[in-house]
Amino acid sequence: MIRYILSRLLFALPIFLGVITIVFVIVRILPGDPAQAALGDYASPDTVAALRQRLGLDRPIPLQYGGYVAGLVRGDLGKSLITGAPVRDEIAHNLPYTLQLTLLALIIGALTGVPVGVMNALTRNRLPDSIGRVVSLFGLSVPAYYLGILLILLFAIELRLLPAVGAGDLTSPGDTVRHLILPAATLGLVMAAAVARFTRSTVLNTLGQDFVRTARAKGLQPRVVTIRHTLRAALIPIVSLAGLWSIALIGDSVTTEIVFARPGLGSMMVGAMLQRDYTSLQSVMVVYTAFVVLINLATDLAYGFVDPRIRY
Amino acid sequence: MSARNVTKKITRRRFLSTALAAGIGESVLARTSRAAAADNILHFGQSEADLGTADPHYAAGTQDRALVDMIFNGLLRFKPGDGSAFEPDLAAAFPKPTVVAGKQVWTFKLRKGVMWHPSDKVPAYEMTSEDVVYSLQKAADKARSAYSALYTGMTFQALDPTTVGIVLDSPLSPNLFYPLVTNYAGGFIVSKRAVEAYGLDGVKTHPVGTGPFILRRYSPKERMELAPNPQYFRGRAKLDGVDYRYMADGFSRELGLRGGQLDGINGQQDEAWVGKMQAVPKLKVDIFGVGESTVLYFNQTVRQLSRKEVRQAIAYTLNRDEFLGLIGKKVGQKIYAPLAPFTIGALTENEVVAKGLDYKTNLEKAKSLLAEAGVSGGFSLDLVTSELNIYKVHYESMQAQLAKVGIQIRLRVVDHPSYHALIRKDTNPIVIYVAFRPTAEIYLRSFYHSASAVVSGAHPDTNFAHYSAIDDLIDKARVETTAAKQVDMWKEAQVKILQDMVAYPVSYANQVYARSAGLDYGHPLKSVLALYPGIDETTRVQRG
Repeated sequence: MIRYILSRLLFALPIFLGVITIVFVIVRILPGDPAQAALGDYASPDTVAALRQRLGLDRPIPLQYGGYVAGLVRGDLGKSLITGAPVRDEIAHNLPYTLQLTLLALIIGALTGVPVGVMNALTRNRLPDSIGRVVSLFGLSVPAYYLGILLILLFAIELRLLPAVGAGDLTSPGDTVRHLILPAATLGLVMAAAVARFTRSTVLNTLGQDFVRTARAKGLQPRVVTIRHTLRAALIPIVSLAGLWSIALIGDSVTTEIVFARPGLGSMMVGAMLQRDYTSLQSVMVVYTAFVVLINLATDLAYGFVDPRIRY
Repeated sequence: MSARNVTKKITRRRFLSTALAAGIGESVLARTSRAAAADNILHFGQSEADLGTADPHYAAGTQDRALVDMIFNGLLRFKPGDGSAFEPDLAAAFPKPTVVAGKQVWTFKLRKGVMWHPSDKVPAYEMTSEDVVYSLQKAADKARSAYSALYTGMTFQALDPTTVGIVLDSPLSPNLFYPLVTNYAGGFIVSKRAVEAYGLDGVKTHPVGTGPFILRRYSPKERMELAPNPQYFRGRAKLDGVDYRYMADGFSRELGLRGGQLDGINGQQDEAWVGKMQAVPKLKVDIFGVGESTVLYFNQTVRQLSRKEVRQAIAYTLNRDEFLGLIGKKVGQKIYAPLAPFTIGALTENEVVAKGLDYKTNLEKAKSLLAEAGVSGGFSLDLVTSELNIYKVHYESMQAQLAKVGIQIRLRVVDHPSYHALIRKDTNPIVIYVAFRPTAEIYLRSFYHSASAVVSGAHPDTNFAHYSAIDDLIDKARVETTAAKQVDMWKEAQVKILQDMVAYPVSYANQVYARSAGLDYGHPLKSVLALYPGIDETTRVQRG
């Protein structure tokens, strides 16, 4: 398995290089200048030129590219063109917020979506199934940011139960959880809707299989048939979907972080784009790429745990 | 259900899990409102995604200007809440100019006992003239300041530890000199030792000043936390700190305020938004100057706009009321002169109307002027607009209005940094620019002096019209020390601009902020040059 993991990680290197190159080129093609963005419209062109020189933006593009890649190889993500702070520190500050948000959303999505999907399958075409399908259809139709606003209006403005914005104090677990519930629920409920629908169809498919019929014929408890036989056999496609959704969650976390005014990689990326902070933007994209690679790898490895027949 | 059954169902595991869930639930839910009420910290939501820089000599965005104003001081300062009046700040008194060897000299006596904030690299120490001279030299250095051009021809001298002399190659009137040494832009005084210890990059996130608040912690893309300065020369702040949050999304700021997590926010320059927020109990909306002027600039080097008759035809087609309707009368006001009405030297509406230069909407006259210029059928122009609402709605309104006389505008929307980059490359034949500048000299020089012409000027800036007819007036007014004569020259320059119709003044929009009823800034808000309600040692917040 270790050889498999290493080969997958090795295979990811060209992907990283490709992403870095594409992002590097795209941000420089866009109109706009970090020096001008940093100095505002008040600054004279001489001052802008002086800052460009200090930031190294006047160097030829290939030299800038070479310098950036060489820095990455050394583990140096560079300095923010705007604040001058090391990008590594900014990512270290923002990463935990995004991780906690997506992890909790994943847990909410899985723990809500799978049971609802199984229940819908077991009560096919009856009232609970119909209700579950309508609710999950609603969940799929509502954009995450809109659901977030609705949750804020209800729980933060009307009921005053939870905070509307911010991430709280990371050193205080209670404060962190209070600030995490609404944004994680926003992402998690949208995911739950997709997982529920997918689980329903997968479980329905499995329920019609011979081995399930055999288990029932042996006189096993319905709960045992459902959990040990049906659900386990249906887990592989569900795990695939969870893997895909994990990647989607990281993408959706961008808008959720903006709506809830939370720090995180999404907020960092949007801020870097607006300020034309090339080094921050490139580095955030590297981290996002790493996420995608690692989640895909973790999903593949999870198959082996779910189905012992799969070996690496 | 019998008692026995109930007892049977409450197992130890179930009891513990229920108790744990209840505990977490109580902790999570019930403390929310109590936490906000417990502190004496001002929670403020500002409208950008992050800090730009805390180096006051580079601070340009409102989020940065507001921040550095809490941390630093100038030799003089604008009276809190009123940008039209000055008062001494780090200086003990107003300076008086003298003439030495043919040069104008302003001498400042410094306030004694002013201490720099302690920082992790430099302990607190007393401010001296050495710091002030270092700071002004930094402000005047284009490699270390965004405002260096304003300090050209100035020399700074530490005459003794508490006396600073500023020698000017060309004399300036107080109207032009005071803004350069106030708590604004290059006028903020920085600590020599701190700048040297942290370096130019370091001071972007490690500001060390003398003001009412000290940096406690900066969390990138999230917030700046400030603590009160116990040694502040005007006394310790009434607040126990400022939690200054970067929140780019306006709706999030609004929800944070309405949810009680924020005490004040940067609002929207939109009458509908103002009305909506004014209807919320326990919230207040502040609308105050200085406003940012919206002006249309016509590029004379573009073939279609090269004739004065065409530019005048456009002016006669446009309707200021239609433009004002976009932001509303609660927030904005029509303007008729190139300089914003609160600027010293601005033409008044009456003066403009008396000279017949208000270009009151007259479609027939517009059409006849177009015919006179040989373009009676109109023409078309390709323009870009920023995605920012204040720009986009003005461009769209102009597009609709000019269509009435056959001038077709094809608009392309780009993000705001791209817009600024493109208009500086002369992309737009008509540029809409929303800006505030503190003095008539800066306004006229940056927008109408030939040296400031975009792309082609000696020092390209924001002269989008490529105008050159008032260079003499601008240059003479700069060195005129008699205030009345100076004002006369600025007014004459504006008359010429309107006669040539290289710029069409539309409106100005005031600043809009919202706050909880318990937030008291400590001063009335009349006109604030930093474009935000000042937060200082007198600011208080009362909750509940």
